[in-house]
Amino acid sequence: MKTDVLHAVRLARIDLTLVGRNTTVLFNVMLMPILIAALYSTFPVGETAGVSGEVFVLTGVPGLMLAFAVFINLVNAFTSRREELVLKRLRGGQPSAAAVMAGSGLSALVLFLFQVVLLGIWVYRFEGILPANVPMMVLAAALGVAVFGLIAAAFSGMTPNAEMAQITVLPVLLVMMVAAPVAFPADVLPGPLAVVTGLLPVTPIVEMMRTGFLGADHFTSGGEKLSMVGQWVAALPSIGILLVWIVIGGLLARWLFRWEPRHG
Amino acid sequence: MISHMSTPQLADATGTGLAGPENVIEVGALRQKYGDFEAVRGISFAVPRGEVFALLGTNGAGKTTTMEVLEGYTPATDGTVRVLGLDPIRQHRELRPRVGIMLQEGGFLGDLTVAETVDLWKGLSQDAGRPVTLSGSTELPGGFTLMGTRIRRVDRVTMGALELVGLEKKARVKVKQLSGGQKRRLDLALAVLSGPEVLFLDEPTTGMDPEARRTTWKVVEGLRDAGTTVLLTTHYLEEAERLADRLAIMHEGRIHTHGTVDEVVATSGDMITFRLPGTSWTFGDLPALDGVTPVLTYAGGGTEVGYTLTGSDTGTRAHAALRPLLAWADAHGETLGRLAVRRGTLEDVFMRIVGEV
Repeated sequence: MKTDVLHAVRLARIDLTLVGRNTTVLFNVMLMPILIAALYSTFPVGETAGVSGEVFVLTGVPGLMLAFAVFINLVNAFTSRREELVLKRLRGGQPSAAAVMAGSGLSALVLFLFQVVLLGIWVYRFEGILPANVPMMVLAAALGVAVFGLIAAAFSGMTPNAEMAQITVLPVLLVMMVAAPVAFPADVLPGPLAVVTGLLPVTPIVEMMRTGFLGADHFTSGGEKLSMVGQWVAALPSIGILLVWIVIGGLLARWLFRWEPRHG
Repeated sequence: MISHMSTPQLADATGTGLAGPENVIEVGALRQKYGDFEAVRGISFAVPRGEVFALLGTNGAGKTTTMEVLEGYTPATDGTVRVLGLDPIRQHRELRPRVGIMLQEGGFLGDLTVAETVDLWKGLSQDAGRPVTLSGSTELPGGFTLMGTRIRRVDRVTMGALELVGLEKKARVKVKQLSGGQKRRLDLALAVLSGPEVLFLDEPTTGMDPEARRTTWKVVEGLRDAGTTVLLTTHYLEEAERLADRLAIMHEGRIHTHGTVDEVVATSGDMITFRLPGTSWTFGDLPALDGVTPVLTYAGGGTEVGYTLTGSDTGTRAHAALRPLLAWADAHGETLGRLAVRRGTLEDVFMRIVGEV
């Protein structure tokens, strides 16, 4: 276990070094999410759930950043590394399968948290709001990376090569961009749609992030101020949904992920 | 094969009777299928501690498949494999730190430099409790920035690994800029870095120039002398002859012959060839040597005569056959033109196996 942790940290550090050396990845992973945030923040007018539309959107944008910094990044990384036999080599070397996966997840978590920090600075600079519940935001990030890291592993298993990755990520990306309650709360949608949206893994992450940022109940459209304990209690169903998704993602990854290109 | 039926603690749970600490690698009735294609069709062999064992064969003979089962990449379709007495799949975690693997190709992070790649592997090995003990003759300074790039120090341990395979001048080159042969050398450095007890080398010198090939052979010999058990696959017969204590020739998923190089070569027979003037010779004119009649070919106004001696006394059969041959030549007043005595080679055996099936 200790060895796995040491290996994961070492591999994550190498991952981050490599991100820094690859302009395309650097753009996709670092700049793209910030551009998306900027774009989304120009849409809203008026007030949503007790805050200005712009604040509402910005505090939900981490849900979209997750799509780029974690999901697309990891589908690409897993697929190209499988094709280049890097995964095969790592698996034949010292690190265990769990350590290789955890290393990739850890580097994605660092990138994602870095973006959330940039976003926090933005929100503070222009809106004067400091995050209310940082531990909740970190937990949301960690659970989000776990869920989408596993889903990325599963999707990379269905992706024959790195070029195809641009296409196989689209369904998930579109669902995340449309269904994530970034621009408006999930429960304003008509009945069944609200239920479906609420069960998608991106929704609890957005709601936990927003609640963590603003210290108010954004699991519903109410937006009432909550105590610290109140925030955590309100977050329990979301945490539950994410834990279920970790199990689903884990099963999908186990079923679909491949360490080597297909024979022949 | 050594039997341990009388020592229960060594008895193999799978009942193949292969278990024993002396055998570092054990393969029992291994079969490997991919869909309908059977890549390996029931092979068995064992490699004792400290031995270099070579699997020879053409492409598609099943060598790499056998390696991948032993390396724990693929579960065996049927049969048993043990490495250091452990199951490569179920006991992967215990086995991994003790094994070094050199794959046939690829698998590097191209944007890392050669030194960074070795550093990564060295670190992973240290984390797993196997510190790297190599020590180079020098180190490269670092800790400064050159043209916008941070230059990192390359320590003696890493330089030691690079010196071992002759890549010390490439320490700061990105892996993607290396030639095929240089990548193979880096691969070798990584495989031996943690001082493995067992080393799997899959076509280790493919794509290397002759000098690099010799360097690789020296590295493997050095490891063998230090007690490492090595299983290698190769296309190069010369490589097997030079390195292998024992070898097996595989063809279409089966082992056709195995033993020491001498044992295997002995099966191919010694050749005696010469040329006689004129084309009127027939078998009846020539003596039988060691019970063997010659093969005659007529060319260029002369007759090429060839004997293949397969007598049991491999050390003396050529000498014993020459005496009556020379006596025959003297008696008939003939001169044996271009007389040659050639020991059978591994190539003869190899070509016979590959050609006959």
